[in-house]
Amino acid sequence: MSNPVYLDNAATTPLDPRVLEAMLECMRLDGDYANPSSIAHAPGRSARERVERARTEVAELVGVSADQVIWTSGATEANNLALFGAARYYRERGCHIVTSRTEHPAVLDPCRHLQREGFEVSFLEPGASGIVQPDQVAEALRPDTILVSLMHVNNETGVIQDVGAVGRLCRERGILLHVDAAQSAGKIEIDANEECIDLLSLTAHKLYGPKGIGALCVRREPRIGLVPLFFGGGQERGLRSGTLPTHQIVGMGAAYRIAASEMTQESPRIRALRDRLWKGLQVLPGLELNGDPHRRVPGMLNLSIDGVEGESLLFMLSNLAVASGSACASLNSEPSYVLRALGRSDRLAQSSLRLSLGRFTSEQDIEIALQSIIRGVERLRAIAPSSSAES
Amino acid sequence: MSRDPRYSPEVQRRMCELPCAGRLDGDDRCVRGRAGDPEQGASVSLELRVLGKRVSEARFQAFGCPHLIAAASWLCERLTGAERAELSGWDWQEVADALEVPPAKYGRLLVLQDALRNAARNWSAAPVSTV
Repeated sequence: MSNPVYLDNAATTPLDPRVLEAMLECMRLDGDYANPSSIAHAPGRSARERVERARTEVAELVGVSADQVIWTSGATEANNLALFGAARYYRERGCHIVTSRTEHPAVLDPCRHLQREGFEVSFLEPGASGIVQPDQVAEALRPDTILVSLMHVNNETGVIQDVGAVGRLCRERGILLHVDAAQSAGKIEIDANEECIDLLSLTAHKLYGPKGIGALCVRREPRIGLVPLFFGGGQERGLRSGTLPTHQIVGMGAAYRIAASEMTQESPRIRALRDRLWKGLQVLPGLELNGDPHRRVPGMLNLSIDGVEGESLLFMLSNLAVASGSACASLNSEPSYVLRALGRSDRLAQSSLRLSLGRFTSEQDIEIALQSIIRGVERLRAIAPSSSAES
Repeated sequence: MSRDPRYSPEVQRRMCELPCAGRLDGDDRCVRGRAGDPEQGASVSLELRVLGKRVSEARFQAFGCPHLIAAASWLCERLTGAERAELSGWDWQEVADALEVPPAKYGRLLVLQDALRNAARNWSAAPVSTV
């Protein structure tokens, strides 16, 4: 049996072969494997140069300067560093934080932990479109608000938040804005300094880079204070101790460089494939698009399919690698909290599919997906009891 | 490609082939049993053709997870030749063991059991074929 068609690029992307080549250059015996902190010798300095080049490549994609980039193990660590670091540093200024109910668990869970430390957190409810309106944020702000955390693109629906508008109103009030850009960097334009983003979380593995590496971009002018999560060697200006993984960092730099040069060609192609998928599925009655139909990233399609149960649908789609809002598809026993926050019933959340396309998705992949989904839904609907059946 | 460890081979086979799925076409006299609610994630409808005192054929319709669908399919085969008393006395644990259903899904099997007991109650009221 051939490999499933991969439509789960929002979960992670495959490594771009060009990224792999760049990484291998740091992993061979004659490569840049030395510790980039060992600048007393030439191999160390060579590794350091590669790390700094990658820092510039990452910075250029998101509109910050290289000295704003702090390497982390991924977006989860970047989110934790931003939230815990800023909250604990600015505690004497205030103890109120604003975020939304549809954030990634890497933001929601730290917020819940901060509540246990005595912080108050306001969780904003997005509308049915999944968008948190800047006015909602403005209304939630208080004199003791120190931080707003809002994701740029939702990882389930692909909906794009207006972080620029939120950033401006936060800047006017002297409140920090943290943005989780794990799903947006390299997919849509982002300019952190222009959009008044003070803390920006990034990852490599959603952009055809390696897993295990990410970054937190921290505003420098005026400087933002953060309490580190790790202590040790004092790397990354003391904000993130630990030996820098040169090959991972170089991989992330390559991935961001490629995205910067190809995004304008890649996005329309992926959007056209997604629209073809959505149009082709219209032969099925009872489809509902989840999230705003316009303000979303090109590669994401989240839909609920009435009359089918999510786990069985995933079973029928064994030739596809897709995600579902079904409880069976997650590590907990609840249907998607994001879709429920958008007002979807448990039943529709259970019957949702997230199809996320990427750089390596082909037209043939879309045709296979269409056939599989239509056939699977029709089979399950055919064996479902009608609501009017006699008992 | 790796096998999905959440489902036993028998659950996988039944989900692929869906034996006994559907309705008993054109038989208005069959015995029916129904339980569950799609809003709660599980619903089962059973149709039993009865000849004399025994079930001669059974069909199911189901909305639910693969374990529930496979269990309904398994039960329909199991019911062939069964008498009414067996229907009301049947316990979900039998199919749980046969299909290696994980404990987290036992609740879904109770829906199947309820549908069968509902059929047993309806049996006495239904006109039954004697041929």
